[in-house]
Formats: sequence, structure tokens, C-alpha cells
Amino acid sequence: MANPLYSIVATFKSPDAIVEAAKKVSAAGYTKFDVHTPYPVHGMDKAMRLPETKLGFVTLAAGILGSIGMISFASWVAAVDYPQVIGGKPYWSWPAFVPVTYEIGVLLAVLLTVSAMIVFFFKFPNISHPLHDTPYMKKVSSDTFGISVQAEDPNFDEQKVRELLQSAGGSVDAVYYSDEFINFKPKLFDPKFIALLVGVALVASAGGYITWNKILYLPPYDWMMEQFKVKPQSESDFYSDKFGMRMPVEGTVARGFIPYPYKGKPEEAAKYLVNPLLPTKEVLALGKKKFLTFCSPCHGNFAEGNSRLRGQFPNPPSLHSDKVRNWPDGSIFHVITEGQNVMPSYQYQISREERWAIVHYIRTLQRALNAKESDVQ
Amino acid sequence: MSDHHENVIVPKKNLPAGLVNLGWALTVIGGVLVALSYVLDFQRALHNNLIGFALLIGLSVGAVFYIALEYITGAVWSTPFRRVTEFLGALLPVGILFSIPLFLNMHDIFLWTHHDVVSADKVLQNKTPYLNVQFFSIRFAVMAVVWLFFFVVFRKHSFAQDLNKDQKHTRINIKFAAAFIPVVAISVSIFGIDWLMSLEPHWFSTIFAIYFFIGTIVCTLAVITYLVVSLGEKGFFFTGIVEDHYYSFGALLFGFLAFWAYIAFSQFMLIWYANLPEENFWFIARWKNGWEYVSMALALFHFWLPYFLLLSRPSKMNKGNLKRTSLILIFAHVLDLYWIVMPTYYPSPVFSFYEIAFPLLVFGLVIVVFASQSKKYNMVPVGDPKLQRGLDFQL
Amino acid sequence: MSATAIDYSKEIPVIEGTPTAASLDELITNPIESFPQRNWLIGIAITSTMLMIGVVSLGWLLWKGVGVWGINQPVEWGFDVVNFVFWVGIGHAGTLISAILFLLRQKWRTGIARFAEAMTLFAVLCAVQFVLFHTGRPWLAAIWLLPYPEQHGVWVNFTSPLEWDVFAVSTYFTVSAVFWYIGLIPDFATLRDRAVSKIKKTIFAVLSLGWRFSNRHWQHYERAYLIMAGFATPLVLSVHTIVSFDFAVSVIPGWHTTIFPPYFVAGAVFSGFAMVQNVLIITRKAFHFEYLITMDTIEKMNKIMLVTGSMVGYAYIMEFFIAWYSGNPIERFVFINRAFGPYAWAYWIMFTCNVITPQVFWFKKVRTSLLASFILSIFVNIGMWFERFVIVVTSLSRDFLPSSWGMFTPTIWDIGLLIGSFGLFFTLVLLFVKGLPAIAMAEVKAVIPGAQPSHGHGGHAGNGVHHG
Repeated sequence: MANPLYSIVATFKSPDAIVEAAKKVSAAGYTKFDVHTPYPVHGMDKAMRLPETKLGFVTLAAGILGSIGMISFASWVAAVDYPQVIGGKPYWSWPAFVPVTYEIGVLLAVLLTVSAMIVFFFKFPNISHPLHDTPYMKKVSSDTFGISVQAEDPNFDEQKVRELLQSAGGSVDAVYYSDEFINFKPKLFDPKFIALLVGVALVASAGGYITWNKILYLPPYDWMMEQFKVKPQSESDFYSDKFGMRMPVEGTVARGFIPYPYKGKPEEAAKYLVNPLLPTKEVLALGKKKFLTFCSPCHGNFAEGNSRLRGQFPNPPSLHSDKVRNWPDGSIFHVITEGQNVMPSYQYQISREERWAIVHYIRTLQRALNAKESDVQ
Repeated sequence: MSDHHENVIVPKKNLPAGLVNLGWALTVIGGVLVALSYVLDFQRALHNNLIGFALLIGLSVGAVFYIALEYITGAVWSTPFRRVTEFLGALLPVGILFSIPLFLNMHDIFLWTHHDVVSADKVLQNKTPYLNVQFFSIRFAVMAVVWLFFFVVFRKHSFAQDLNKDQKHTRINIKFAAAFIPVVAISVSIFGIDWLMSLEPHWFSTIFAIYFFIGTIVCTLAVITYLVVSLGEKGFFFTGIVEDHYYSFGALLFGFLAFWAYIAFSQFMLIWYANLPEENFWFIARWKNGWEYVSMALALFHFWLPYFLLLSRPSKMNKGNLKRTSLILIFAHVLDLYWIVMPTYYPSPVFSFYEIAFPLLVFGLVIVVFASQSKKYNMVPVGDPKLQRGLDFQL
Repeated sequence: MSATAIDYSKEIPVIEGTPTAASLDELITNPIESFPQRNWLIGIAITSTMLMIGVVSLGWLLWKGVGVWGINQPVEWGFDVVNFVFWVGIGHAGTLISAILFLLRQKWRTGIARFAEAMTLFAVLCAVQFVLFHTGRPWLAAIWLLPYPEQHGVWVNFTSPLEWDVFAVSTYFTVSAVFWYIGLIPDFATLRDRAVSKIKKTIFAVLSLGWRFSNRHWQHYERAYLIMAGFATPLVLSVHTIVSFDFAVSVIPGWHTTIFPPYFVAGAVFSGFAMVQNVLIITRKAFHFEYLITMDTIEKMNKIMLVTGSMVGYAYIMEFFIAWYSGNPIERFVFINRAFGPYAWAYWIMFTCNVITPQVFWFKKVRTSLLASFILSIFVNIGMWFERFVIVVTSLSRDFLPSSWGMFTPTIWDIGLLIGSFGLFFTLVLLFVKGLPAIAMAEVKAVIPGAQPSHGHGGHAGNGVHHG
């Protein structure tokens, strides 16, 4: 064979023999050797003089990391970032975080232990190894116990090793590096492999995007759209007149709703309506709030008709004109309720009380711009 | 190959003099303090007597439970140490004696014996078919007889086997052990409900009996571990004890204390979460006026500290560590009973020589009884067919 | 008597006879390397038909929504949650056998551990589908189940037991799968070296992660296995505990009781062992594993069923007693209603199958009879299913307010999904026994007579012996 030698191997039939052989080999000072058994043999670690495994430390670190990380995260979520009162408990209810903390601690401990074992201790991916696919490996994977002393051991001397293993009672053989092993090149940076990765990534992201943003809005996943309820303006087979929406019964009034009696009658409104509210601090504050919300976009913050909409619509009038100043309260109320020219009705957005509060506020604004001597005192 | 153990089994019979003297000293000091506390503060002495009583009954019934557990599971690693449990079981009559002062003064301990309170309380009236002095006493008497019966049977067959090495004794004991397991489950539950849960007669928790039981199991195992390790160190069993045996004790202790924490946390969590006024007052009473520190200490000594002390594999075999942890767990169990009993009577924690007197007496008696038993009987069940396998035990 | 009596001075062999390691390989890999038997084909035809019934029911459920189920006010949890709890419970036996019995060094677990672990995975899969589909629109469930930084700044509720369930069940599935896979690695390597066809060889070579039976690997491997068993043990307890919290943290009478955590765990182990027992008896017969899965193993399984069944019975009685003892009229009513109310039939099926019939396992004759074990295990599964039904449905159907009382009646879609879950489970089991080594070869080889160096403490230098 032209290929270089990997190791001298010997096979044994009984577990006692392999333990003895391992003891001999380690006593002879070899360090780069390994024992292959179809199942773990008791006492082999001592026979091979292996140090105690360090895996437990990984587990401990991972478990602590997982638990502390999770309880901090749960605490931050529940007490800081998104506080909610649940069951009348304080935001930071630590007993309720114990289950998730525990689970994540266990999850991380197990996953990191196994990953550490495979990556650090097994040096994965090591599917390619000179021992694989040899008659030796096929024997030890079933019922034979084998020992392999590698040529890279500093004390290695082929003849001595053969003699040592023979004296231990094993049938000795040699394993050489195979052609495939020597010619093996890692394919990690092969363009084809990279193209494959890119392709998989593209398909996965496109699939995810299309699923969550398109398919889920198509039938049948959009069935929230079709529900067995009457929608505004829709037909209904339930009523003989096919109207889904119903008119109130004649002569009834909805709860909390007072009909407006001066519909289309501005003069009567001006004559009979009186502001039921007193201009207290609270009422003015309410009026200011509602004025700024609903009126100021057109009439401006101080009712001067100078909002930023000026020029884009027919100009809203200033409310400081003599006309408006001399209007009775009822007229202003009527305009808010019914609308005027391009101004729409606000009776559905603004409640009756709020409209009267706005009237008070407008009066305040008017007075502020045309203050009398007596106001200054 | 390993038959050579047979001829090195020389069970020593006299415990080290130091230990025996310590036992007598504890018993005498504890006895004097108990007498003193009964003179100085009768009520408080009674409450502490209840703690001592629960401790002793837990220990002795727990020991009998371990005998049965070994037979029923067919465990072999513990066979060389079975005598420890068989000796500790002899505390059972002593424990029953501890109940006499309690029975004589039930009115000072149990609220449900107060006729004026019960007649004014609809809920307590509902419970009178169960919580009344006659039925209560009958229950305890029956349980005591049953425990003693099983204890005597187990010991009789085990000791007889020392002489005749007949396997039939093992067979019979396995049958009795199978019968004892359901008996102990029911009787210890009733014991826990009767003597501890009913101290607060309005309170109820379905898991409480298990909580009490697992607490006693941990404590008993801690006592066994302490005795096995400290006597084994001095060569009191035989030469065959290896780390693997100690590891089994450590692992079992670890498992049971984690299970205790699981049960304790479950009980607390469910009551805390549902927050129903008919249940939560029990925990609220243990979380105010200084009791919260006792509760925290309980979590620390009954779980966190021993948990981390026994976490790693080498620490489960380390003899010094095992002894230390056992002592912590024994202390924790006394604390646990204190935490269950005392908040019923005292709005904030009390601590004085009253609280030390009974544990001292109890552990003094443990040593004294153990020493006298070991003088009379073999330290090792020499006739047990599983003994050799137990000596050969490997992980 | 003396002829059959056990000799206590000898260990009961884990395996009968004296097989060699090579013959074990032959026996265990035989189902994988041979053409399916006729019985296997009949079996999979039946189970896949059941699975199809489930698929149809699932399709209809997805098309129409959860309204096709029988759930409504006041019984908002019906078969979905009953089946979920039932299947998660079935899963517990696997981890118990592979982890807890491993830690307790019960060697008889060796023959059945692989098998039971696989059943864990399949049972958890069956369970997961119910919780997933009972959310209504499972494809959106990630939003309300998983804590990820969502654009509205909304986080999941870590205080909710349903959220704990998400964590518990997914952790449980992941850890069980890893545990199972790690156990399979050496067997994959054996299969790799036995494989003749190139494709099989490649597949097994990849799956075995380059395993080469090196003792330098075994050393870490064994420790990792021990660590994982150490974690899986409390994990398996925590999973059904958290499932029990779903009920027990509420204030519904019959749900809120502190014994629920251990009681649920005992019940889960109980039902899981019964299911393992059923599948075990059939597999043992079908693949001639009689020498690997001994009568002693089956008897021990029956003993565990007796113990856990009695624990469940203890919990039933304790609940009843404390309900009376509490003096709370609503608690009392709920339990009287369970036993004598409209769902009394379910309660008594539960009580009979879980507490009364397993008591015949006290007799050794029954414990060592295959037929009796098989039938009683089926009873146990029926009983445990009804236990969940009793807990979920009776408590909801009788609320605090008599005006909001109601009854639950399953629809055919409920039943179809239940059948489908059984179909899924048994189909996966059948595929598993055919496609993967059903018995852990490396583990069994380690416990056959003569497999370990003749120990004796002189054997390995006497390092562990004191005062020699």
C-alpha cells in the first residue's frame, strides 16, 4: 500500500481482554490511541487513563444562563415593557414566572450539552474518518472489542505496537488512510454548495412571505370577511322588506338621545335655545379640548379662520366677526349641530353637552380678542 | 471472585462511646429543658411537644416505610444498611408516648375542641363528624397499632433470617411490604391532616398530606444517611461500602428534596394564584410579622442550600458533604414543622429554649435507642439473600 | 412453590437465554432489513384509514372553524382539551422509562426504553395538534403564543398557565426528541456498517454523525445521557404539572385543588404505561422479541400500573374527602354532582377502569398473563380518557350560577379527530418499528451475560474500595 499508515488495530473477543489491553497500552505510555467497543464497557475510562469529562460544566453554565435569562426576560416583559394587571396581582409576580424559567433552563441546558458534546467532544462533522468503512469498524460495531494505536503518537513504533497488542492476545491488523480520505476536500466553499444555500434561503423567504402576506388573505383563510351577521346597508332575507337595517319603532327615542327639535329652523333655535351650562373652569377646559379637536382644523386655534387649510377649501370664516359675536348662543349651537354651507353637521361626533361647552369656549375667545376695560381690572 | 466479602463482615455491636455519650447528654439536657418548659410556660411547651411528636412519628414511620420500600422494590444496594432503618423504627413506641401530653391537653392545641367556637361557626359544625375527640383518638390508636404491627412483623422476619438464612422470610416480608405501602399512604395522610392541618380547622389543602409525608421522608433519609456515612467511615458495617453506595444515598436525598420543593411550590403557587380567602389566609399568616423570614429560611435550608450542595456528581459521593447536607436537612425538617405549627398560635416568630428542648430530646433519643438496638442485634442483615448483591453493587 | 420461587440472591436476568451480540443484531435489525409481514400491512391499512378520518375531520374544522365541535357556553373546553391532556399523559411513560428508570438503574428498562421514547414523541405530536387547532386559526397562533418582538409592542402573558403550556410542551418535545436521537446514534452506526445498499449506507452514515464506537466518545456520551436523564426526569414531572395548572390555578370548583400536580403526573404515568404495555405485547409477539422483553418486564410494568393507579385512586378519594372537609357548599356540590349528576356514568367508568380493575394486578397470575395485561391496559386507557373528560366537562357544565348550566355533546367531528389521533399515533408506531431499531442494540448488548468485565473490586485497581 502506498497510502500512509493510520494506526495499528487489534481486536479482542471478551470485555476482560480489552480492558487488559487498554491498560497495557496506556501503561506503555501511548496517548494517541482509542478503544472501540459496541457498547460502553465499565472501567474502561480508568483503564485508558482518561480524565473525567467536563461536560457537566457546560450543562451547569447553560442551565444557569437559561433560567436567569428567562426570568429576567419575563420580568422585563411583564413588569416593564408591557405591564398588565392580571388576576389582581402585582406586575412582577415571580411565582408565575417559575414554570417558564424552569422550562427554558432545562431546554438550554440539554441543547447546549448535546451541542457541546457533538461539536467540541466529537468534533462534528467528522463523518470522514480513516477508520470508517474498514473491516475493523464493521467488527467493532457489532460484537468485537477493538483497540487502535495511531501512528501519530510520539512513541509510535510499528513493530513494538504489534508485539504489544499480540502479547495482549489480540488479532492485529493495520489501517491505512484510504484514497478517498486523502483526496477529500471540504465542499463548504464550493460555488454549487453556496448556490444551493442561497437558493434554499430564497425559496424559504419567498414562501414565508407569500404565505403570511398573501395566501392567508385569500379564501378560505379570509373567512372573517364572511360572517353570519347583518352588515350595514346589506340585504337580509329575514325581513319581508329585505332591509337589513331597521328603523326605530314609531314614537320611540333611543336611550340617552334627545331629538333636536329645531331641525332646519335656525331662527327658532336662536330664539329658544339657551346654554344650559355655566362657564366653569371644567366646562371651558372641555370646550377647549373639543374645539381644538373638531373646530380648529378649519377655524384655526383661536377661531380667526386662519388654519393651515386656508386656501385649499372655501375659506372658513373667522368667528370674531361682528355677525358671529352678536349671534345668540343658540345660533352657534345650531350651526355646530346642523352645519352650514360646506361645514358638515357635527351632531354625531360631538355630544350635546360638548357642543354647549364649545359655545362657551368660543365666547371666551371672542371676549379675549375684544376685551372690555372692565375685563382688565 | 468477590466472595471474599463474606468473611470480612464483622458487625461491630457497640457504637463509638463518644456517640453514645452524646446521645445520653442530649437526652438528659433535652429532658431537663422539656420539664423546665412545662413548668414555665405550659402552653408553649405543649406546642413544642406537638412538633417533637410529629418529628418522632415521622422519623419512625418513615424508617418502617423505608424497610417496606426496600422489600417491595427489590433494591439491593440498601440491603447492607437495612438494619439502620430497622433500628430507627424502634422509636415508634417512644413517639407514641410523646402523644400522651397532647391527648391530655387537646383543648390547648386544637381550636375545634372548643365547643363555644364550634357552635358559633357553621363551617366547623360541618366538620364535627370528622373532627371530634372520640373519632380523632380512635384514628390515632388504630394507626399506632397498625404501624407497630408491621414494624414488629418486618423485624421478626429480618432478625430470624440472620440465624436461619431462609429466603422464605424475604418472601413473607415482601408480601407485608406490599400491604404496608397503601396502609402507610393512608395513615400518614390522616396523621398529617389530623395533627397538623386541623390546627387551623378552616384551612384545607388536598396536597397537604403529601407535603407532610415527603418532608418526613426527606428527614428520615437524612438521618439514615448521616448514620450510615458516619458509622461506615469508622468501619461499622463492613469493608465493601464503596462510593457507589454513598452516591445512591446522595442521589436519593437529592431526588427527594427536589420532590419536596416541587410539592411545596405547587401548594403555594396554586393557593397564591387563585387567591381564595378560604385558603390564602394560611400562607398570609406565614408571610407577615416576621414569619416571612422563617418562610424564606425554610426555602433556603430545605431546598436551595442542600440542592446546590448535592448537585454535582462527586458531591453526592463525598462523605463530609453528605453528612453536612444531612444535618442541614434534619434542621430544615424541624424548621418545617415549626413553620407549620407555630404561626397558628403566635402572630410573630418565637424562639427560646422551649423550641430547642424537644428537638434535643428527640435526637438524643434517636441516638440512645439506636445504640441500644445495635448492642442487641446484628448491624448487618447477615442472613439476607440480597446482601452479597448489595455489597457487590456498582453503578 | 419452591420450584418457581425466586432466588433473591441472584439478579433476575434482563434477557432470557444467552444470546450473543451478533445474534442480537440479527434479531433486532430483522424487521428493518426484511420485507413487511402481512400482519404489519393489515395493521397499517387500518391505522392509516383511521388517520384519514382524522384528516377529513381536520379539513372540515379548518374550513368551518371550531364551531363544528360540540363546545359552546358554558362548556368551552371539550374533546380538544380532553384529548390534549390524554395524549400528553400517554407521552409521559416514555420519558419515565427512559429517564427515571435509567437513573434508578432498573436494567429491565433496556428492552423497552427505545420503544417507549418513540411513543412519547408520537403521543406529544398527537397532543400538540389539539392545542394548536383549538386556537381556531393556528397559522396565526405564533403571534399570541410565542414571545417575539411584535410590531404593536404586545408581549405574551407569562402569567398565564396556557403560555406555560406552550413552553412546557415544546421543551418536552424537543428534549425527548434529542434524548431519543442521542440514544439512536450508536444503533445508526451499526446499521450503517450492516447496510449493503449505497443509499441506506449514506443515510445511516449521516444520521450516525460519524459515530465510531470510540471509548473517548462513549465517555462523554454516557455522561451526556446521564445528564439528559437527570433533566428529563423533573421535566416530565413539570409538563403534566403545568398541564394541571391550566385547571388548578383557576377558581372553578373541581379544578382548583392543590393535589392536582402530583395527581396529574401519576395519572399520566399510569395511562402511558398502559399504552406502552399494549403496544409492547403486540410488538413482542410480532417480531419474536420474547427473549428481549421478558415476562418479568411485563410484570414490572403491571406493578407500576398498580402503584400509579392506586395513587390516582388516592387522589380521587382525597379530593372527595377534602371537598367535604372544606365545608364549602359549592365544593361539596361539585363532587356530589360528579358522582351522581348527569355525567355520573363518565365518573363511574373512570373510577372502575382506573381504580377498581387494576387492583387485580395484586395477583401474580394476572400480572404474568399477557391477555389479562393487554385487556386491563386497554381499560386503563379508557378510564384515563374519561378522567380527563370528567375533569374538563363536569366542572364547566355546572357553574356557580344554575342559570348558566349546560351540557356538552360531542359532534361527529370531535369523534373523528379523536379517531384520527389514534390513527396518527399507531401509524407512526408501525412505521417506527419497521424503520428503526425498536430495541436499543447498544444498550441491550451491554446487559447480556458476560458483557461487562467480570467486576470484582480487584478488577479495576480497587480505586473505589476503602479500608481494604
